Amino acid sequence: CCEGFEIDCRKKLKSLNKMSDKQNAQKSAKIAAGAVVCVESEIRGEVTIGARTVVHPKARIIAEAGPIVIGEGNLIEEQALIINSYPENIAPDSEGVEPKTMTIGINNVFEVGCMSQAMKIGDNNVIESKADLGRNMILTSGCIIGACCQVNTCEVIPENTVIFGSGCQRRVQTERPQPQTLQLDFLMKILPNYHHMKKTVKTTSAVTPAKN
Amino acid sequence: MASLLQPDRVLYLVHGEKKIRSPLSTLYFCRYCSELRSLECVSHEVDSHYCPSCLENMPSAEAKLKKNRCANCFDCPCCMHTLSTRATNIPAPLPDDPSKTTMKKAYYLACGFCRWTSRDVGMADKSVASGGWQEPDNPHTQRINKLIEYYQQLAQREKLERDRKKLARRRPYMPLAFSEKYGLGTRLQRQRPGAPITSLAGLSLKEGEDQKEINIEPAQALDEVEPLPEDCYTRPINLPEVTSLRQRLLQPDFQPAGASQLHPKHKHLLIKRSLRCRKCEHNLSKPEFNPTSIKFKIQLVAECQVLLTLTNPVENITHVTLVGCEEGDPEDINSTAKVMVPTKELVLAGKDAAADYDELAEPQDFQDDPDVVAFRKSNKIGFFIKVVPQREEDGDVTVSFKIRHDFRNLAAPIRPSEEGDAPTEAIWLTHHVELSLGPIIA
Repeated sequence: CCEGFEIDCRKKLKSLNKMSDKQNAQKSAKIAAGAVVCVESEIRGEVTIGARTVVHPKARIIAEAGPIVIGEGNLIEEQALIINSYPENIAPDSEGVEPKTMTIGINNVFEVGCMSQAMKIGDNNVIESKADLGRNMILTSGCIIGACCQVNTCEVIPENTVIFGSGCQRRVQTERPQPQTLQLDFLMKILPNYHHMKKTVKTTSAVTPAKN
Repeated sequence: MASLLQPDRVLYLVHGEKKIRSPLSTLYFCRYCSELRSLECVSHEVDSHYCPSCLENMPSAEAKLKKNRCANCFDCPCCMHTLSTRATNIPAPLPDDPSKTTMKKAYYLACGFCRWTSRDVGMADKSVASGGWQEPDNPHTQRINKLIEYYQQLAQREKLERDRKKLARRRPYMPLAFSEKYGLGTRLQRQRPGAPITSLAGLSLKEGEDQKEINIEPAQALDEVEPLPEDCYTRPINLPEVTSLRQRLLQPDFQPAGASQLHPKHKHLLIKRSLRCRKCEHNLSKPEFNPTSIKFKIQLVAECQVLLTLTNPVENITHVTLVGCEEGDPEDINSTAKVMVPTKELVLAGKDAAADYDELAEPQDFQDDPDVVAFRKSNKIGFFIKVVPQREEDGDVTVSFKIRHDFRNLAAPIRPSEEGDAPTEAIWLTHHVELSLGPIIA
């Protein structure tokens, strides 16, 4: 009878969630199985998060003007802000504005306190602490935006570029930064011990436990 | 009021070779001459060399040999940050059995700031963590060394000739070190302005040695110069590959134009310096020998001895008189306002470190004129001055006046006194002070 009680509880939870889902039909985050997203993070709007991605508490992913698609193996640290915002000269409620999707590739690292508004980010990039990416940037692969660098130009950053220094000097490195697999594995083991996780979308049947 | 200690608000005038006005926190006080000294009227001497990243001390002789560079630490050629050694595991074949591979550690240098690695320039990974990295050799080293030897010999010959002339004129008991050509050790030579500093100093050829004749070939001028490559003007520039002037000039041996030839250089050593009063030759500031220690063996900072505007740093009762600057005072060039200072003498109690904790102490009884003294607290006093701005500009209001206070030199040499314990005499010191009060509002 203990089991039965549990199953009842789960059914009730599911129905409650479905109701809340219907109310906020467009504002749900689709978190793939295997991703570790802390409950204290703020995720607003249509956000899709891929597997093996870790989102720390107090990270903010805000999809205002369109959906955000985040790939696999990314590391989004505390107080990072990924925001798909409206361009400055367009009011939020005006007609004829198509929602643009922000895509983020795999194995990227968004360090503590960074802010990214770039619409397209490739793979294996590192955005260091307190860096600031403008809306019109496109990062390819292997780029490193240094700490406290504000880059607000309208350009495509070529591969393996490093932007560093107070004057945002650039240079090209010969190797791309390594994916943080060790760090991701460690975090995926340790974070659930100390934080509650957001619910992941069940892709396989009843194997992933619903943690909430 | 700590704001009065901040730079540039309160300036003291230092009477040295040049009249310098600077805040009290940057001044020293020579207690043998009883005068304020600024950084420009003291002589700076090198005390010790140390590396800023590994904090290793290096004796001066060794530093000279290694051209003032650390043996272990490297600078990034791209951003001049300190390079750190990183290790990776690479599979390497075992020496016994070439078919099996085992993980060996390979070390490479990497910069944490601009992400430059030693692999970018083609330097192979080393198997030892430190000591494996070499700077590339300069192809012109041999020629330069030969030239240096030749000129050293020339300098010695000239020095001997000069000594012979001088000794012939003067009496022969002058020490040989007196007439060293490029030396800067003795005081007379130091005060000579414009004395050249070369690495030829410290040579002294004993008169009995045979002098080897070194001949050098003069440099030959070539008629034919290598022509520029044909696509010099049409080849598109690969901008990340071009080195900046700063990166290029930090390696004067090679001055590479391409970033793939920028090799790391050993880190420059820093020095600890000691300051010496030029008039009385006493040390004003002498740092500790240990590079990790920031304390000083001797440190005669002005704040400990000279009166601050409101606080009395010494332990005796001090009498302060403020005198406004008269008309036509040659030192009064910066003031934009007239100031009326209190004419009476102000008395400041001594500094007593235990006064905060001693509840039974009787409050000292000073008769304070409430028009002059605003508050009094242990060794501090707040007093009123009246300021009349002279100009209606938008600039800062600056006033200047003279502080005259008495000073007891506690470090005076013990003179044998016949009367027993005579109290140390007080000297009256006058300082010219400029105070910046900020902009006029409305």
